[in-house]
Amino acid sequence: MKHISRIYTALVMVFLYAPIAVMVVYSFNASRSTSVFGGFSLKWYAELLNDSSTIEALENTLVLAVLSSLVATVLGTLSAVGIFSMKKKWAKTAAMTVTNIPMMNPDIVTGISLMLLFVFVGQMVGSKNSLGFGTMLIAHITFNLPYVILSVLPKLRQTDHHLAEAAQDLGCTPFMAFFKVILPSIMPGVFSGLMMAFTLSLDDFVISYFTTGPDFQTLPIKIFSMTKRRVTPDMYALSTLIFLSVLLLLILSNVAQARSEKRREGAKA
Amino acid sequence: MTNENIVELKNITVTFDGEKILDRINLAIKDKEFVTLLGPSGCGKTTTLRVIAGFVSPTEGDILFDGKAVNHLPPHKRQVNTIFQRYALFPHLNVFENIAFGLRVKKVPEAEIKKQVTDMLKLVNLSGYEKRNIAKLSGGQQQRVAIARAIINRPKVLLLDEPLAALDLKLRKDMQVELKNIQKSLGITFIFVTHDQEEALSMSDTVVVMNEGVIQQIGTPQDIYNEPKNAFVADFIGESNILDGVMKEDFLTSFSGREFTCLDSGFARNERVDIVVRPEDVDIVPEKDAMLLGEVTSVTFLGVHYEIIVDIGGFKWMIQTTDEQKVGDKVGLYIEPDAIHVMKKSKYSGMYGDYSTFSDEIEHLSDLEEDEN
Ligand SMILES: Nc1ncnc2c1ncn2[C@@H]1O[C@H](COP(=O)(O)OP(=O)(O)OP(=O)(O)O)[C@@H](O)[C@H]1O
Ligand SMILES: [Mg+2]
Repeated sequence: MKHISRIYTALVMVFLYAPIAVMVVYSFNASRSTSVFGGFSLKWYAELLNDSSTIEALENTLVLAVLSSLVATVLGTLSAVGIFSMKKKWAKTAAMTVTNIPMMNPDIVTGISLMLLFVFVGQMVGSKNSLGFGTMLIAHITFNLPYVILSVLPKLRQTDHHLAEAAQDLGCTPFMAFFKVILPSIMPGVFSGLMMAFTLSLDDFVISYFTTGPDFQTLPIKIFSMTKRRVTPDMYALSTLIFLSVLLLLILSNVAQARSEKRREGAKA
Repeated sequence: MTNENIVELKNITVTFDGEKILDRINLAIKDKEFVTLLGPSGCGKTTTLRVIAGFVSPTEGDILFDGKAVNHLPPHKRQVNTIFQRYALFPHLNVFENIAFGLRVKKVPEAEIKKQVTDMLKLVNLSGYEKRNIAKLSGGQQQRVAIARAIINRPKVLLLDEPLAALDLKLRKDMQVELKNIQKSLGITFIFVTHDQEEALSMSDTVVVMNEGVIQQIGTPQDIYNEPKNAFVADFIGESNILDGVMKEDFLTSFSGREFTCLDSGFARNERVDIVVRPEDVDIVPEKDAMLLGEVTSVTFLGVHYEIIVDIGGFKWMIQTTDEQKVGDKVGLYIEPDAIHVMKKSKYSGMYGDYSTFSDEIEHLSDLEEDEN
């Protein structure tokens, strides 16, 4: 039984990581062929760095991810606090449902509906080309919001609600009390919300595809448009880099999580 | 001279969802007084403190500090500090920072903070614990941090919500003494909440007995114990036999089928009253000297004394005695005039003070219930 489960685990690992391994290996391939490994070389990485449009797409992607995740985190945390402090139960449930629906909604529906809205509003204000960085930023913030709210809410529930009162009792205004005691206590939730928003924004393709204009391209869109032609190995190099960044991010956030958990554990003992 | 009252509650009524949680609370608290709110779980003690601290605004009535109405003053502007029922220490700050919190909010200079916190740690016996994580402290130590965090702000009034409830008996006794010392040496007014009657009697200058959101009696511990206003107070403060009686005339009452001289007066002729006799005030005497005769139906040994239940004409009395009795024994009882306390009839008449359903198990169960809350 033990053997079977080991083999099974090994197989799963192979299926999950073989494609990535192959991609990483081919990104160092000296030849252009996908069947022959023509020796080790960094030339695709060099080519990638020289391709200004790819670098620009990378920059766009990062700027968009950073901005949209930051804004979504601030707005999402505030909404979570608002939802949490709702007194009426039905209002709370309604707010939660409204929050959940966009997450269940297929991306393509969200994308198309957002595009329609942007074009519609754009026409009302009389602008011809309303789609671009702005609309895409709004779109990314929109789809990131529920994830932030959902990761902050449980932390609020875990927080002793007397903490805010204790802070006010010691002279804080309600506003100061939030920053001095509530925020530190929900920080792990805020942080994981930020991480999730960042990665979601980084690799979103469907919604971005519908809400961007011709003069603003992100990496996923750029890669997709390149695959319509011939895929060149510099894409392997790019994907490898993205994979490594995500891996690094994951490790960092896990370490942070483990640390805060340790502190919390200490707090209970 | 008009106002030596530091805190005053006038006709405070609090309604939650149409339910009256506090009903016309009137309370005047003097400077440096140790006042205890005492009552069963859910009677509105915490709510009363929250009204004073500013976390609950009363539906009706006024809160006065030094004679001035503060109804609309938010909590952070009120001159009171609170020790919460479960301490509410800040988990992300260490012992030092927890205690320094109030001073930091007031932007006190760093050197001054350091000095005051160090002094405060000494006062509550926690020197050397500055850097400790709050979570790594024992219950008693957390309690002390909570006290230090509140009194470092030199409040005129300190609100304490069952601060000792979570401690074990020994620690609790020690902390009672320490709290009392702190209160005396710093000259702070304490408004203390507990549902432990012994704690209330031993610590307070004034005890306020509450039930169902209504103040039942305000008085010194001696008053409350010796002269309870009604059957609820008599029963809640210690054990009592509460009998149905008639006040024949001043200093003469009748219950259990005979007349007794007593020290009470001022009732109408033949007014129906409740009679309280404390179990320790009943003497067991030979039958020939007895005022009442009865039969022992249960005996419990409690160390210092025996607690026996005696059936007198169908009413079960609880009596504490140092003489051993056996179930089935016929005993004679003698009651001194000063052991008899006469009370006006109230809505609690007949609800308390009869030990016919008495059993240790039931007492024990209701204690457990209280602890859970
Ligand atoms: N925010 C609230 N909303 C509705 N009802 C409340 C609220 N706070 C308290 N109550 C009710 O008010 C009553 C009194 O509560 P309170 O906390 O003052 O009791 P307490 O005397 O402190 O009891 P305990 O000894 O259990 O702490 C209870 O019946 C409680 O259910
Ligand atoms: Mg309470």
